[in-house]
Amino acid sequence: MSEATVHIVDDDAAIRDALSWLLRSRGVSAKAWESGEAFLSGLSAETRGCVVLDVRMDGMSGIEVHDHLLGRGCRMPVLFLTGHGDVPLAVAALKKGAFDFVEKPFNDNQLVDRILEAMRSDEARRRELEAEESLMARVAQLTAREREVMERVLAGDHNKAIADALDIAIRTVEVHRAHVFEKMGVRSAVELAGLLARRR
Amino acid sequence: VKELAESSGRMPALLPADGARGRARSAAPGWPWYVPWLSLALLVAALLGALWVLQLQDIEENRSGLIRDSLWVEQNIQFSLDRGLEQLRQLAEAPEGGDLDQRQLELRVKHLLANAPGLVEIVLLAPDGALRASAPTPLSVPPGGSWISPSDEPAYRLARGTGNASYAPPHASASERQFEVFVPYYRGGQLAGMVVGVYGLKSILSGLVPWWLAEKHRVTIRDSNGNVVAAKSNVEAEGFPELTHQAPLDPPGHGLLLHVESYGSKANLLRNVLAATIVGLAAAVLWSLWALRRHIQRRLDTEQALGEAHAFRKAMEDSLETGMRAMDHEGRIVYVNPAFCRMVGYSEAELIGHGAPQEYWPPEERRHIAEALRASRAAGTPRVPIELELVHRSGERFDVLIYEAPLVDDRGRQTGWMASVLDITERKRARERVRHQEEKLAATARLVAMGEMASAIAHELNQPLSAIASYATGCLNMLQAGTAAPSEICEALQKTTQQAQRAGRIIRRVHEFVRKSEPSRSRMRLNAVVEAAVGLAEADARKRRVRIVPQLSREDPELLADPLLLQQVLLNLVRNGMDAMSETPRELREITITTEPAASTVTVRVMDRGCGISPEVQRQLFEPFFTTKAEGMGMGLNICRSILEVHQGRVWAEPNPRGGTVFAFSLPLEPA
Repeated sequence: MSEATVHIVDDDAAIRDALSWLLRSRGVSAKAWESGEAFLSGLSAETRGCVVLDVRMDGMSGIEVHDHLLGRGCRMPVLFLTGHGDVPLAVAALKKGAFDFVEKPFNDNQLVDRILEAMRSDEARRRELEAEESLMARVAQLTAREREVMERVLAGDHNKAIADALDIAIRTVEVHRAHVFEKMGVRSAVELAGLLARRR
Repeated sequence: VKELAESSGRMPALLPADGARGRARSAAPGWPWYVPWLSLALLVAALLGALWVLQLQDIEENRSGLIRDSLWVEQNIQFSLDRGLEQLRQLAEAPEGGDLDQRQLELRVKHLLANAPGLVEIVLLAPDGALRASAPTPLSVPPGGSWISPSDEPAYRLARGTGNASYAPPHASASERQFEVFVPYYRGGQLAGMVVGVYGLKSILSGLVPWWLAEKHRVTIRDSNGNVVAAKSNVEAEGFPELTHQAPLDPPGHGLLLHVESYGSKANLLRNVLAATIVGLAAAVLWSLWALRRHIQRRLDTEQALGEAHAFRKAMEDSLETGMRAMDHEGRIVYVNPAFCRMVGYSEAELIGHGAPQEYWPPEERRHIAEALRASRAAGTPRVPIELELVHRSGERFDVLIYEAPLVDDRGRQTGWMASVLDITERKRARERVRHQEEKLAATARLVAMGEMASAIAHELNQPLSAIASYATGCLNMLQAGTAAPSEICEALQKTTQQAQRAGRIIRRVHEFVRKSEPSRSRMRLNAVVEAAVGLAEADARKRRVRIVPQLSREDPELLADPLLLQQVLLNLVRNGMDAMSETPRELREITITTEPAASTVTVRVMDRGCGISPEVQRQLFEPFFTTKAEGMGMGLNICRSILEVHQGRVWAEPNPRGGTVFAFSLPLEPA
């Protein structure tokens, strides 16, 4: 898993260099891309951190790059750098899910703070995503009968009622129940309900 | 006929547009048309009747004349025969009468024959009937024969028996038909002999029918078989006689008839000629009436066609949307069509005969309109439409285009001017709207372009400025954190410098771009520039009812300047003046332009009569982006000042003593 990095996409070398220098001065690792095309081709599923996109660029515009990212399902937070006349464009981008936009010339440390915030939110989102994924994996291990039993346990039924409803022996219900608790990594029905409630 | 033709010639002018047709139709077969025909027929009938009556009377008169004449002839003959008989008796009863010998008889007879017309021979007979003597022709009887012919025998016997005179039937002789009358005479109671008178029928007629009667009639004596035995006439007997009358001639009797025939006279011929003349004249009158009627019919048709054409033309004129107006040489209106009346709101009666200035000329434009009309009518002027503003009776103004053309009558004489008047208010308004729209669009486009440029420049400058800020902040961060390595700081500062230089280059580039439009100076005359600017502003001025009055100095100074830029200055000042006068009453809207050359400078003044300028406005007057107009950009006067500064001149504003503002600028004169 690669390190969280700020990806600076700007066609102006001076801006790229200066922003990288600024981020480094705050101890944030940054990677500069000279165009939207270059960034998109260098992007992988492991890429983490956030994206700083200049709206006005030769070739692909910042807005187009953002659209491509959304199209690929990449959920990295995106910060737009805009000139004076580009505010409406940036607002439209915000509505599509961009993290924020910053007008040039910018207050540099504020920009860095926003970048860090974005990276933190990305980290949090990523963690949550991982937890979700592990839960889904655990549910996937259950057999069909075990899943039926789990549904009824979550509905608050006693073993006896479950056995009657599914037309099986109480003993069998208890075995299934033990398997469910084991596979889901919980010790009680309350814990199971708490785990699944987050998902719903 | 001439009068009729004239009156019908005048008619179309009096005819109303419609209904003329119907009246012309109904007039043709009205009562005046059969009255002359009827009276003419009656006249001819009366004339012919009179002739016929005359003819009847004439015939009657002829008949009575004929009868009178024939009776007269008959009586004359009888009287003559009676007298002859008397003389024969006297001869017989004279003492020696019957015994006269041949020679004595001849003497007596000569006297007797002279007094008895028709008596051709006297014969003396012995009592036994033997011939004793005869005169004037001595007769002889062959021996054993008797002088008395067998046809005479009955008469002879009758005379002997009765002792009275007796007439014998006529018989033919050598020269003519003759008859005898036997007159017995007695001596002492004894038949002593007979005196026989021989009458010739022809001789009777020639002796007893007078010439004047013979001139008129043919008189004949006919026997019982109807054969003509004697005739006298001086008239040509051709064909059948017109009238005849006959009476028995007795004595001598024996079926003799006196027959008088009358043949047509010369008077008759005259009458026939007269009748023929009357009929001929009547025919001539009929023919001429018919011809006249046909002529009138043709005239009516023509008139009707003319009336229809007139009505059609009138309908066309009435339905025309273009106004028509004719004026005579004195400028009096002689004709207007309804469209024109509608345009100006005055009735035809109010307009006709009205001279200049017309009611529909706006009061302040009257002189201008009169001059424009005079100019367009001047000989040799090409016929171009005049654009004028007129005023409706309600006070509403409207724009028209007038096409003037000489009005020439049918004798080729110009009697005035004809004008077609086109209301172009709507068209002009639409054009104005379009122009306004275009101006606004152009202004917007300029603004957009300026915005684009400003945005581009801002973006260009933002890049180096952002970079500089980032480097500086980064350096500060490092210095504050105490992690700064001098080499890193140094590098960042170097990059900062580069970016500052980059920003400087951008600004220089913009400046160079703006400075590209340097004025191109040339030697030029000031008045020409002023006139050109006035020409450019003229259209706008007319639209806004503003008069531009250039009062240029005779002395026309020469300048070294950019004429287009100076024109721009003048145009801006004139436009400002017109804008300032939008609330000024029309008659005061005037912009005066003066030029005042001095020793080293020339001053141009543009004076308006507008609202004037307040002192606080005057202070900011020439600042860029300062404007008092809703749509202004606030660049006009600023541009003027820039242009004049380039030309080493200056511009200022001062109040107009007559109200309004004076914008003045001065330019240095080239040293001669």
